[in-house]
Amino acid sequence: MNIIKNIAPAFLSLLMVFFLLSCEKDIVIDLPDAEVKLVVEGNIEQGRPPFVILTKSSPYFEPTDLTSLRQLFVSGALVTVSNGTNTVQLTEICTDQLPDSLLPAVAELIGVSLNNLQTFGFCVYTTLDTTIYGEIGKTYNLYVEADGKVATSSSQIPPLVFMNRYWYKDQPGFSNFGYLWFELSDPPQYGNAYRVFTKRVGKDSRFIPVFGSVFKDQFINGLTFEGTFARGQEVNSQAPDDLAETSEYYQQGDTVIVKFCTIDMPHFNFWESFEIASFNSGNPFSAPTIVETNINGGLGVWGGYGVTYDTLVLVD
Amino acid sequence: MKRYHFLLVVFFLLTGNILLAQNYTISGVITDASTRETTIGATVYIKETNKGTSTNEKGFYQLTLPKGNYTLVISYIGFNTVEIPINLNKNLKINQNIEPTVITADEFTVIGEKENQNTDEAVMSTIELKMDKVKTLPAIFGEVDILKTIQLMPGVQTAGEGNSGFYVRGGGPDQNLILLDGATVYNASHLFGFFSVFNADAISEVKLVKGGMPAEYGGRLSSVLDITMNDGDYKDFKVDGGIGVISSRLTIQGPIKKDTASFIASVRRTYAGDLAQPFVSDSSKFKGSNYYFYDFNAKFNYKLSSRDKLSLSGYFGRDVFTFKNSDDGFDLTTPWGNAIVALKWSRIISDEFYGDVTASFTDYRFRVEAVQDQFSFGLFSGITDYSLKADYTYLPSILHKIKFGAAYTFHKFTPNSADVSSGDVDFNTGEKIFNYSNEGALYISDEWDISEKLKIQPGLRYTIYQHIGPFKRFSKDETTGAPLDTVVYDKGETVKVYQGLEPRFTARYAFSENSSLKASFTQNYQYIHLATLATVSLPTDQWLPSTEVTKPQFSTQYALGYFKNLFKNKWESSVEVYYKDMKNQVEYKDGVSPQDDGGTNVDNNLTFGRGWSYGAEFFIKKKYGKVNGWIGYTLSWTKRQFDDLNYGKAFFPRYDRRHDASIVFNYDISDRLVLGATWVYATGNALTLPTARYFIEGKVVNEFGERNTFRMEAFHRLDVALTLKGKETKKFKSSWNFSIYNLYNRKNPYFIYFSNEGNVFDGTLDLQAKQVSLFGIIPSVSWNFNF
Repeated sequence: MNIIKNIAPAFLSLLMVFFLLSCEKDIVIDLPDAEVKLVVEGNIEQGRPPFVILTKSSPYFEPTDLTSLRQLFVSGALVTVSNGTNTVQLTEICTDQLPDSLLPAVAELIGVSLNNLQTFGFCVYTTLDTTIYGEIGKTYNLYVEADGKVATSSSQIPPLVFMNRYWYKDQPGFSNFGYLWFELSDPPQYGNAYRVFTKRVGKDSRFIPVFGSVFKDQFINGLTFEGTFARGQEVNSQAPDDLAETSEYYQQGDTVIVKFCTIDMPHFNFWESFEIASFNSGNPFSAPTIVETNINGGLGVWGGYGVTYDTLVLVD
Repeated sequence: MKRYHFLLVVFFLLTGNILLAQNYTISGVITDASTRETTIGATVYIKETNKGTSTNEKGFYQLTLPKGNYTLVISYIGFNTVEIPINLNKNLKINQNIEPTVITADEFTVIGEKENQNTDEAVMSTIELKMDKVKTLPAIFGEVDILKTIQLMPGVQTAGEGNSGFYVRGGGPDQNLILLDGATVYNASHLFGFFSVFNADAISEVKLVKGGMPAEYGGRLSSVLDITMNDGDYKDFKVDGGIGVISSRLTIQGPIKKDTASFIASVRRTYAGDLAQPFVSDSSKFKGSNYYFYDFNAKFNYKLSSRDKLSLSGYFGRDVFTFKNSDDGFDLTTPWGNAIVALKWSRIISDEFYGDVTASFTDYRFRVEAVQDQFSFGLFSGITDYSLKADYTYLPSILHKIKFGAAYTFHKFTPNSADVSSGDVDFNTGEKIFNYSNEGALYISDEWDISEKLKIQPGLRYTIYQHIGPFKRFSKDETTGAPLDTVVYDKGETVKVYQGLEPRFTARYAFSENSSLKASFTQNYQYIHLATLATVSLPTDQWLPSTEVTKPQFSTQYALGYFKNLFKNKWESSVEVYYKDMKNQVEYKDGVSPQDDGGTNVDNNLTFGRGWSYGAEFFIKKKYGKVNGWIGYTLSWTKRQFDDLNYGKAFFPRYDRRHDASIVFNYDISDRLVLGATWVYATGNALTLPTARYFIEGKVVNEFGERNTFRMEAFHRLDVALTLKGKETKKFKSSWNFSIYNLYNRKNPYFIYFSNEGNVFDGTLDLQAKQVSLFGIIPSVSWNFNF
């Protein structure tokens, strides 16, 4: 689906002709006071406990040093998850309370690189109560109460959809670099949405969302079709292969684990608007993209994932 | 309907005759003896009373006076003045041929316009521009652009730096009716609005109506920009051309049959992209990428008789953008542009009764085609109109000028439709949806001199609109996107009908010969809408019809103005105040992205609200002399309110400008040297900025504040141009135009964005507001010639 994502940059490049004549300067802007809101970043997969990272929004130009950012974590909140029959209160665990040997596993579970986890330190709400572990088809209600504010949400772990097949192909003009190809048969009814992560074994420390990680069945409902995934990368990565011209490709010979997830529509809407917003950032012609949260009374996302994994060795 | 017109005419005649009791009328047609063309705007006046008139678009004049002996004087730019003694004891008809003369520059300017025109006419909020004045003004890259000159007028706001889009008295860009020889132009810009589609060499005259819209115009809420193409020379062949920094132009005109038939053809093409080609190395991954636009204007005129004239005008223009990136095999082609044809038959039925019938076709289309590997993507949108209209003028007496007419348009709309495929699999992007509609109008107006002091122009326009099948109304499940029921309308079946009356009224009260007060009241319906997702006009904007969901836009405007001429009419000044209310304005709902239009009716993604604007416009102009020019200033407020946007609170649209000023200066240093300068000042754009931020997956997410509550810095800029005419030979004339855009290199804000760099997790995150300015100082040169 990269074709559609390439169109906007092509138009922007035309404007670059004018931007060659343009110049940029830092300015100081006096912004009005903004209300501080609860921000939820939570997920639940089948067979795993719920994870909720609870932070708060802050006025745009507040300091961004580590101490200030760490203070954004909301501590001592009441966080419960319910699957309709059980309601379980999550406990807050901060990484500085954990032995180092557990950190790689925690990094994997909450979706940050080990490096970032170690330097920053995270606090996450979760539980070891297996009665609330994710189950396919169930809907999970989240309730958060902190600092006098209440945030609620609800998300389903949708039924699994299995990819027909994956393969790798060199991109024309390149040897040993290319996209990851797939063939998918979308189920006959409307309303399917997907999110995709990959992890290159020995190269990535976690599952990283592919570039443009979500799609839905609006135009492909019930079809069997082929598509490509472009490799995503850690935010602001300085790794040599993420800075290279081939940064959006996978390399022949890599062993890649694909994490292909079904998600429900409000969950999809969050990630889609989130990715458009980060893509449009700095584009003078787009209207401001408002990220569509599925949290009532707060910001962010609470999402269920129906996960399937495949491991491939990339050979053309 | 005919009978109705007749009754009105009789009514006006009766009332007119009562006032006419003691007077006699002199009327006639003034003709250029050399070409046998009628002369428009020739001055006809009575020497003894120093009162007069000017000939209308058919060369016709009419004067009414008490019985007596007079001298009738006929003067016209570049012609010998004629004096005719008359004994007025009955109605007289005097047709006069006038002979061209060798003129000096002074005469040229002094009698160029009818005196007191701005204080005398019952017309307000109207601007006329002659192309020769436009051409000595500075222009970016030397591209003379009438739309950018229009923006220098009070009440007209620019869409942004270098942009040819404009907003009139708080109305949106879709509320301007742009006519080229009577045919509608839907997208008047090239390259995302940086240049207008009008090649200055092919244009003779431009008229902008921003308020008090006469009844003969309709279909848009805010303004009419009526552009007339050059007729072509009936006598001699002429070639005009110009070579500029980014484009070249060539115009050829001449007789097909001397004094009877003429033609003009004009082409323009940009080559900045082509010139860049040799500098793109063969190994570049962008090899083969290019951008250019071209325009072609042509017009043929044929005088069937002394009273009938046929003219055929055409415009064809395209922007072509190709983008190749060999890295990922990405290949994009997007042609877009207008095609316009207008056939006009002008007939003078009698000296008092004349009119035009115009048939026109206009088509605007936009297409994107992209290919990458086995994937292909196509996006198409457009609008096609077939129109027929008739406009007549009837002069029952000197006191009345009655205009009436009818218009019919068939619209075909193609909202964004996409084709996407992967290999052999076509994605289900939904059926192609077309919308069809009929739009009709009838109007009548009368310019009536009730007394020496009071002149009124009442008018009434009746419009009817029908959205017809074939049409399908889709509805979808809000969360899954699954299609629910679809309402199907067969071909020719009525989906929805709207109709309404649009009263128009303008009055002028003259305090003296050179000062007057004018007031106007107008109501307009607009049955088509422009839906735009971006913050500026882009070729991806879609024209949409009114449907059972989208109601027609409707506006009411009140304007009041005081006009005064100073220093023997060398200076014109005016102050106008206005209030405008607009209903059924459209915007996309929050969070809609372009692909949401696929497989559904676009209006399912729209939301509706209202707008209002008010302000005051000040204008002073020195018309003649070595130093001439004008100063305009507008103080205005514009607001929009949508229940579904900005929590239902009213907000300023981005182009709301508290202050908008311009100074235009022309100095004829010598016969060969003209200096032009313009200075503009405008309140900064309103925009929405993030007020807070948070983090998800380590990325900064913006939390936006209320819509458009922030203001950019004010915009101001000085441009200068020097036109140096080459030594003239009898056959060949040339001139150099040197211009400097943004002389003091002001860094005007084009947009503001918040950059975030570094890593959230290691303390290197840096957030910074940045302001991007587009054009600094830009010198350019062009060389123009004609022979």
